[in-house]
Amino acid sequence: MAELTWVGKNVPKIDAMEKAFGQAKYAADMRFPGLLYGKLLRSPYPHAVVKSIDTSKAEKLPGVVAVVTKKDAPNFRFTKAAHQVLLYPPLAAVLDQYMFDDHVRFVGDPVAAVAAVDEQTALDALKLIEVEYEELPAVFDVEEAMKSGAPQLHEGVEKNIAALLSGPFTHGDPEAGFKEADIIYEDTYDTSRNKQCQMENIASIAMFDSSGKLLMYSPTQMPHLVQRQLSLIFDLPMTKVRVVTPMIGGAFGVRLGMITEPYSALLAKVTGKPVMVELSRKEDFSGTETRHPIRIHLKIGAKKDGTITAEEATMITDAGAYATHAVAVTSVGALMLYRIYKCANVKVEGYVVYTNNPVAGAYRGYGGPQAAFALEQHLDALAEKLGMDAIEFRKRNHYNTGDIDMGTLIPITSCALAECLDKGAEAANWREKRKKTPGSDPGPKKRGLGCGTLMWASGTACWIGILDFSTAMVKVNEDGTVNILTGANDVGAGGKTALCQIAAEELGVNFNDVSISATDTDTTPFDIGAHASRTVYANGNAIRIAAKEAKRQILELAAEMLEAPAEELVARNGSVYVKGAPHKGLKMGEICYQAHIRGKQFLASANSPQTNAPPYGAQFAEVEVDTRTGRVEILKLVAAHDVGTAVNPQLVEGQIEGALQQGLGYSLTEDVIVDKETGVVVNPSFSDYQFWTAADMPPMDILLVEPDDPTGPFGAKGVGEHGLAATAAAIANAMYNATGVRFKELPMTSERVLQALKEAGRAWD
Amino acid sequence: MTQQVRLRINGELHELSVEPRWSLLYVIRDQLGLTGTKRGCEHGDCGSCTVLLDGVSVNSCLVLAVEANGREVTTIEGLAQNGKPHPLQKEFVELGAIGCGYCTPGMLMSAKVLLDEIPHPTEKQVREGISGNLCRCTGYAKIVKAVLAAAQNGG
Repeated sequence: MAELTWVGKNVPKIDAMEKAFGQAKYAADMRFPGLLYGKLLRSPYPHAVVKSIDTSKAEKLPGVVAVVTKKDAPNFRFTKAAHQVLLYPPLAAVLDQYMFDDHVRFVGDPVAAVAAVDEQTALDALKLIEVEYEELPAVFDVEEAMKSGAPQLHEGVEKNIAALLSGPFTHGDPEAGFKEADIIYEDTYDTSRNKQCQMENIASIAMFDSSGKLLMYSPTQMPHLVQRQLSLIFDLPMTKVRVVTPMIGGAFGVRLGMITEPYSALLAKVTGKPVMVELSRKEDFSGTETRHPIRIHLKIGAKKDGTITAEEATMITDAGAYATHAVAVTSVGALMLYRIYKCANVKVEGYVVYTNNPVAGAYRGYGGPQAAFALEQHLDALAEKLGMDAIEFRKRNHYNTGDIDMGTLIPITSCALAECLDKGAEAANWREKRKKTPGSDPGPKKRGLGCGTLMWASGTACWIGILDFSTAMVKVNEDGTVNILTGANDVGAGGKTALCQIAAEELGVNFNDVSISATDTDTTPFDIGAHASRTVYANGNAIRIAAKEAKRQILELAAEMLEAPAEELVARNGSVYVKGAPHKGLKMGEICYQAHIRGKQFLASANSPQTNAPPYGAQFAEVEVDTRTGRVEILKLVAAHDVGTAVNPQLVEGQIEGALQQGLGYSLTEDVIVDKETGVVVNPSFSDYQFWTAADMPPMDILLVEPDDPTGPFGAKGVGEHGLAATAAAIANAMYNATGVRFKELPMTSERVLQALKEAGRAWD
Repeated sequence: MTQQVRLRINGELHELSVEPRWSLLYVIRDQLGLTGTKRGCEHGDCGSCTVLLDGVSVNSCLVLAVEANGREVTTIEGLAQNGKPHPLQKEFVELGAIGCGYCTPGMLMSAKVLLDEIPHPTEKQVREGISGNLCRCTGYAKIVKAVLAAAQNGG
């Protein structure tokens, strides 16, 4: 690749200084004249029918402007998981939500909303709303929910099975494959309900103007899809719904659609005033979407030489009260069970099951971490039974560049998984440390080393069952500076900084001369949103293509001005010159001003191409398990990730480091605990949830492996999500290496670890 | 039933009447419009609302405004002097210690107190010093690096 000026450089984030100065405006920092504060009244019961609601006392409280219930809301059935409407066969969206329903299905289901002059008054008013509920029997366990006679959550949904996915995830002849196998290994794994824990409280601000146009300030990950959904709910043309994104204080999937937006819009409509609805942290823990707990039963057969001959899996996904993302999450999980490693005969069945638990939805990894926790432990166990090194077994079986990606059914354009495994193994001292027999350390504290691998995606283009694209416009000003208009959001990962680096590189302008818009659906073209590790790859591709066209236009005029053929011109660092004569060039501003006085602006737009490049990674954990107490200490993590070209290596490392913190919590401590009698979340705070602090973190070694992907912008692939996909698996495998015991339920808390050690007769007396 | 309080915030004296139940956080953000201080949990769990009260870091969600009467408050808006970034702000920006930025103001204020008390901390002291401030983006790695760099550079 030619020498690059901006791509590959650690430029600071474009918004870092305003964040460091406390000047960045998040939704709840915005102020408008007459702003009202909205709050939601939520069901205290996990399953009930609302018999009646009396709002009269609340309405009389001074400072209350409006109280709304089901009768005031559009009678429109939708899903808050806005992008599920872009699913297509073999997948399909499940539309099962109303703004308010008189059948409530979890503790936290909204039944009414209040707008008042200040937050405290709104909270006081909630207490004055009198709701008569008729309690219904509730069900919290997926297997119980699937039995005949279980409480039914949704009309017409037999045995609470919202969806059964099987056809798309089956190929070959599993029965014949298992007959070929020399060994067959079978086990069941349970994953947990955990929480995104974005630091910013969830909020949105809505207002209507006198023409009836809705302006929505929403820190959603998918502003253009929220625009569309709000237009459908409120029966408005899309020109009458304008969604603008303020700064976003973290997302990790929780904002993959709508949360408070329909409620702030309804209250704004009823009151005629701007309304902010902001959730408390407690509401966030119990009332917004979590990761899906998935029970995975896995059976894999292999030959003595290490060939995997057949794989069968059953996944039971606890969707909670509403389906939201459950169909897509389960399908991603199903694909991830056979996407990294070759197997000709596969059958996966996925059950999406309603329970009266809190609603699950999108969380970083989206089915991937659940699948990895099962599959990667399973592979380790198989390797051991075959007498093969766990890394050699993986290297022997994984798909490679040129093979068909089972998630997208297009060829894999680059895969450096083997290099990730080798580099990671070296950094973790695998060869030396894995010599021991599991559980053989003397004394109660036992050390072990384990690994897990991951494969992810750069967006969902070409992915089975879902649409994906970005559009970007490049506008060159008469002084040679550049505006990028795009609907891409930056949830905090730095995607927009990387996009500016890509634009500057392609156009040959200075990085500081590129500005990128905040999303405003009135002016920015469509982008599906900031999800699936897609922004830098897909939006970056759209920007690069548009920038190429803008550059062509610039060079066309420059050729005339410099009296040289356009193909002999070079644009770099804000100047255009004839190849080999950089001192005799023109400033970008001179060319653009010349265009300006001739009545022309350089302007180009492009859609992202329908391509997808999978990133990979190998993670290693070294642990010490105290077999007296079950306490697990993480001594070191190594993450070797194939990210394609790292557009901004510092930001890429930061993404992986942040993901590892979430992966550690997922592995050992974090769990949204639901009381099995009342359906109440019993730990709705950061401290009770056991969020990891700076003092808790182990040393982390991040290794970037950078193959030049032919489809990515300057070779880049997605990096947003996948850093946590294999962490729990690597830790579980390390714990096995330490103790000789498999831990199959997340999180692997001290209590569970000690219990499993006791059951295996390996606890220290 | 309001009460008069005098707060010196970032060097500027404010006299205002507050309700007894108002937190210092509420007054800073909603009465004075200093929204750099963030509300993350209102339980003292996350540290997003950290400010300095007479030079000591506090979760402003856990301090009542009346308790701050007559005292000196420093918020993130008061960290930079004359528009010049504090060495901590500079290192946070340059070393990639800022993700979504929501924890950043509180994190910077805790780091400032740490460096005021221990000008040359060890990595362990930095990790302990900022352990009351939660971050979900960075895994803290680059934050720790930035605090250590700021200490080197006269933070």
